[in-house]
Amino acid sequence: MDDESVPFLLDQGTTKTYQIPISHLDYKFIEKCTDVKHLEKILRVLRSGEEGCYPELTFVCEKRIEHLDPKSRALRTDKPAATASDFTAEEWETINDELMSWLTEMNEDDKKSQFLRTDTPSENQDNLPPIRCSSSCLPANQNRTLQNKQRNKKNIPRDYSEWEKFDVEKECSKIDESCEESNSKSRFFNRPSLPIIKNTIDTTGMTKREKIFVATREKEKGNEAFAIGDYMEAVTYYTRSISVIPTAAAYNNKAQAEIKLQDWDSALQDCEKVLDMEPGNIKALLRRATVHSQLQNYQTAIEDLNKVLGVEPENPIAKKNLLEIEEKLKSLKPVSEIQGKGKRILIQEIEDSECDEERGENTEECERSGGDKRTAVPVAAEAAAGEPAMGNAHRKFRSKGGGGKAEGREKQKQKEPTESGLKKDTPEKKPGKHLSDHEGEVNGYLHSDQKSESSESGSSRWYTAGSQWASGASPTSLPAIAAKLKTEGNELFKSGQFGEAVLKYSEAIEYVTGLGERSPDDLSILYSNRAACYLKEGNCSDCIQDCNRALELQPFSLKPLLRRAMANESMERYRQAYIDYKTVLQIDSSIQAANDSANRITKTLIDQDGPSWREKLPPIPVVPVAAQLHRWDGGNFTSENKPGSTIDINREEQLEMNCEEAMEKFKRLKNEGNDFVKMGEYDEAINKYSECMKLNAEECTVYTNRALCYLKLYKYEEAKQDCDHVLQIEDSNIKAFYRRALAYKGLQNYQASVDDFNKVLLIDPNVLEAQKELEEVTQLLHLDSSAGAGSPQKQRKKVTVQEVTGHDEQEERQFATSDEVVTDHVTSKEAVQKNVPLKSSEKLRVCEPSNAYDFGQIINAVNANKDKAACADLLTITDPKKLPVLLSNKLEGEILLIFIQSLERYVAGKDPGLVYQHLFYLSKAERFKVVLALLSKNEKEEVQQLFDLLSENQSDQYSLEDLESLKK
Amino acid sequence: MSAAPALERPQVVSHAQQALSYTVFDCKWVPRSARLLCLGSAARGTGLVQLYELRGARLELLREIEKPKPIKCGTFGATSLQQRYLATGDFDGNLNIWNLEAPEIPVYSVKGHKEIINSIDGVGGLGIGEGAPEIVTGSRDGTVKVWDPRQKDTPVANMEPVQGESKRDCWTVAFGNAYNQEERVVCAGYDNGDIKLFDLKSMSLRWETNIKNGVCSVEFDRKDINMNKLVATSLEGKFHVFDMRTQHPTKGFASVSEKAQKSTIWQVRHLPQNRDIFMTSGGSGSLHLWKYEYPAQRSKKDSEGAEMGVAGSVSLLQNVTLSTQPISSLDWSPDKKGLCVCGAFDQTVRVLIVTKLNKI
Repeated sequence: MDDESVPFLLDQGTTKTYQIPISHLDYKFIEKCTDVKHLEKILRVLRSGEEGCYPELTFVCEKRIEHLDPKSRALRTDKPAATASDFTAEEWETINDELMSWLTEMNEDDKKSQFLRTDTPSENQDNLPPIRCSSSCLPANQNRTLQNKQRNKKNIPRDYSEWEKFDVEKECSKIDESCEESNSKSRFFNRPSLPIIKNTIDTTGMTKREKIFVATREKEKGNEAFAIGDYMEAVTYYTRSISVIPTAAAYNNKAQAEIKLQDWDSALQDCEKVLDMEPGNIKALLRRATVHSQLQNYQTAIEDLNKVLGVEPENPIAKKNLLEIEEKLKSLKPVSEIQGKGKRILIQEIEDSECDEERGENTEECERSGGDKRTAVPVAAEAAAGEPAMGNAHRKFRSKGGGGKAEGREKQKQKEPTESGLKKDTPEKKPGKHLSDHEGEVNGYLHSDQKSESSESGSSRWYTAGSQWASGASPTSLPAIAAKLKTEGNELFKSGQFGEAVLKYSEAIEYVTGLGERSPDDLSILYSNRAACYLKEGNCSDCIQDCNRALELQPFSLKPLLRRAMANESMERYRQAYIDYKTVLQIDSSIQAANDSANRITKTLIDQDGPSWREKLPPIPVVPVAAQLHRWDGGNFTSENKPGSTIDINREEQLEMNCEEAMEKFKRLKNEGNDFVKMGEYDEAINKYSECMKLNAEECTVYTNRALCYLKLYKYEEAKQDCDHVLQIEDSNIKAFYRRALAYKGLQNYQASVDDFNKVLLIDPNVLEAQKELEEVTQLLHLDSSAGAGSPQKQRKKVTVQEVTGHDEQEERQFATSDEVVTDHVTSKEAVQKNVPLKSSEKLRVCEPSNAYDFGQIINAVNANKDKAACADLLTITDPKKLPVLLSNKLEGEILLIFIQSLERYVAGKDPGLVYQHLFYLSKAERFKVVLALLSKNEKEEVQQLFDLLSENQSDQYSLEDLESLKK
Repeated sequence: MSAAPALERPQVVSHAQQALSYTVFDCKWVPRSARLLCLGSAARGTGLVQLYELRGARLELLREIEKPKPIKCGTFGATSLQQRYLATGDFDGNLNIWNLEAPEIPVYSVKGHKEIINSIDGVGGLGIGEGAPEIVTGSRDGTVKVWDPRQKDTPVANMEPVQGESKRDCWTVAFGNAYNQEERVVCAGYDNGDIKLFDLKSMSLRWETNIKNGVCSVEFDRKDINMNKLVATSLEGKFHVFDMRTQHPTKGFASVSEKAQKSTIWQVRHLPQNRDIFMTSGGSGSLHLWKYEYPAQRSKKDSEGAEMGVAGSVSLLQNVTLSTQPISSLDWSPDKKGLCVCGAFDQTVRVLIVTKLNKI
């Protein structure tokens, strides 16, 4: 074979072993040859010395081979073991030193374990698995015809201790995975089940040394899995290692693996654990920076990277990441400003979760301003006034919660904005107030607000006021220096520089405490604010400390409680967090965030402690009634007594606080009212709203809400009065108009109703419901006038159930300015369902359905009540030709039956032609054949009856033959 | 292979060596110590266990225990770190477990096989491998038996040839896949080149193959993980690395083979601290240090959509020749990375240091 591959051949013969031409054993040839195999053969010939000894040539050949293929086997030579001469003196020393130190370590360890051995001679065998089922026999040479009788014997059921450690999630994911794989491998009978590796290791009876050994081993396993990209497995092994001995290295590695898995939350936690253990750990800082940057907490990421660069100024990774993040930050800022409108929706979501109607109203209005200029006119100005606060809020959201990658993150995201949402309370409420208290400004707090907008303390007010109303009513007087520090702190907080904000607050606290215990309130606020910073920084333990201090100074103040709860929750101290949330809820049950969190924690605790979790809870402190009432009453009192205050900062703050309190009570009562509305208990709701009115007679929303309740209760007159009242205060309240229109409609004052609907449409032409209602009422008006006094009694009763509730639901979506807060469609639908039986005595009103959905809705209602008259009405006004389209694929036996029955009883007598038309088109409907086949005997008889009836009342519109063919 | 990068590669240093007066078949580090055991056969046909301690650059004999039958193999794999009982297999087919503090009477003894126990392995001890402590023995009588030290006299599992079929000499056994309390496999290699993988959970033969030459040694890269890799060495100097993660319905496990030398590869041992590095000991008195490199994708779909493994590659990190006689046994220290002991038929036991294993 070699002979052919060689281009030239001299007569000098070939080598003995490989038949290589002698001429190939030549410098020139070897230099040119690129065939490694051939060269290897040449080398072997040369090395063997059978053609003579050419050390130089051999060396050249080796070089050539190495050049072509450094890993060639021919180059492997037998080598003696390395000796001291192969190393530098230093290396040699290190090698020996390492070994010697290990030896001494081992010897010491040995001595210790001699003692130990006497202590623990008896193995605790309890935690060992049972002995494998004995004498299992497996034929080894079975050549794939495996028949093992004892096979099933081996499947030892899990014992109890194993079930306890059973990881359901993992198990499930295994099943999922195996399902996926089984698609391709279903025929592979003995596929191994996927690994179920326990996350913890039983370390009972282990000595410290053993634990270290096991922990190190698990970590190594994790490293190996990580090295080949099996990050899930790596995380498992790191977790196991941590379960034996928690080490910074294992946490650090786990964080890295979690970053690879994009499990940012866990990675963050692990980084923080490392930093708890080793505050200056460069790797952990770098990793945390990565996580923060992924979570879009760029500010914190930059802080971490700066810390790294502080220690290692030349760290290339940190430098690179810092640049990247800064660029991202730059590119983000303009976007967030451009996206102003989109962002508002974000706020709205948060507000919804907070259930704060005032703010909801405001933001909703803002949102609507995009689509509808007219209603937004008053709003726009206010929105502009509130803009600085909003802008700030946007940025905060972006940096805090933009990530939203993992579900868990989502929760946190909600939590954080809520937190900042609380802070923005005041500025956001202002526009809302503007809107509702458009004309009558009694308290006068708005004026002071507006003035303070320009004043220096304007920004601090947002925070202080917020804390203030929580901490109780007493005028505050911060020393000027402390106030300034606080303001600075607040500014820093707003811009996301939490670390610096902490410094400012700390200074202020020092200053104030230096003056003596003169103003516990201010101190409390300062602590509370600093706690907020700590919370943002993720420094939960300090946050809790500050909250504790704040609470010592001002027991049962809301914000520190909330913050402590959040901090406790993120530190997984669920019990404490639960207690705090519960306390918060005692003080103010309307804080949705606390409600949600309490529920969430309840779940976690149940998971953790089982059904008896409550027993493990420390007692929940009972909030003195005074603490609750104090807030309402104090708020009431001051808000009434101090209108038109001065521009003095303290006063201003207090005023705001008073308004807040008044609002709080409002909110609570309204909430209760809303809840009643949701439950369909309109009487109670009316009571609550009436109470609200006593508190503040200027609040339009309460009136409009009460009007809604009256409408639901068919007390049209009262509803009308409420609407009138609202319209006196605010002559463009779209909801009031709408509801008054409905009330007029109920009162059969169709003309007035039409007028009001027109006004609604004038304000906002996009209100579909109003358009629809208008059409209807116009129709009614027309009927009324044409039919005269035909059947007024009957008409009067035709107030829809289905329609009203349906409209309300949609109306809520559109207006959402009201306090019903029926954001949850499900609940409102439930309410609808509850309403239906309540008013089933009422006759269904029908109008011509425009699309399949409407039709379906009506049919369902009709079907539920078996209201054949209504069905007949429906069929009368529906164009038979549209029937198949309207029914689409919803035709069912029941519906067909009710059609037939209503046609038979009500329509057939009057207009047999229409009946025929209906039947004709009915047979064209999609599922007609199927449904027909499924009809029972009785039902078929009914159909037959109808046909009989029809054939009796023949007319020229259809022939008997047609009828026969239809009967088929 | 120029000199400069050679220094960056791991170097094998012969740190200490001890001439013995008997044939050494196996040597083992005592866990959590600087002591090692040499097991073998004395000239007069008795078995010997010698306990040495590494003191500086020399081995000091601490204890010598003589037993009636030559001892072929031993393991600490099924004992706790506190007890450190040694399980041995001898020429007569006896499995004994010794307390080295009181070696007169075995703590466990069973006549497990009719003929010599060629190979022994343990799992569930030393913090390695979940589940019960178990010992597996492979014998010339063709059977592979699994023992639980808590159960006297009878094995907990017995893998034997079907009646009437010729029995093959089982040369090597190894545990693997012991990542939880249920899963466990035993791999056995036979003189005819058969490799069989027994699943102890389902008590079934999970896989078998033939590498054409007698299988001298098999070892999983780690016993206590979802089985990852298996190395099998053969009589004619080749070894095979199987990727054990993906089993194809018909093709089994993907593998890569490498020829280390012309002579038999007696042993393969994975570095306890890094599963992708392993050392083979050869018939020509040489040691080869290898590294397995994973492919970019460890599995792919075949034409029918079934998952099949993709083998990686093996690269030689270092090779040394220590003796003219075969190196029959090899053991890495579980406690000190890079420290290993090997016993050769030149009646010498050597303690080696492999450097720069961290930098791979």
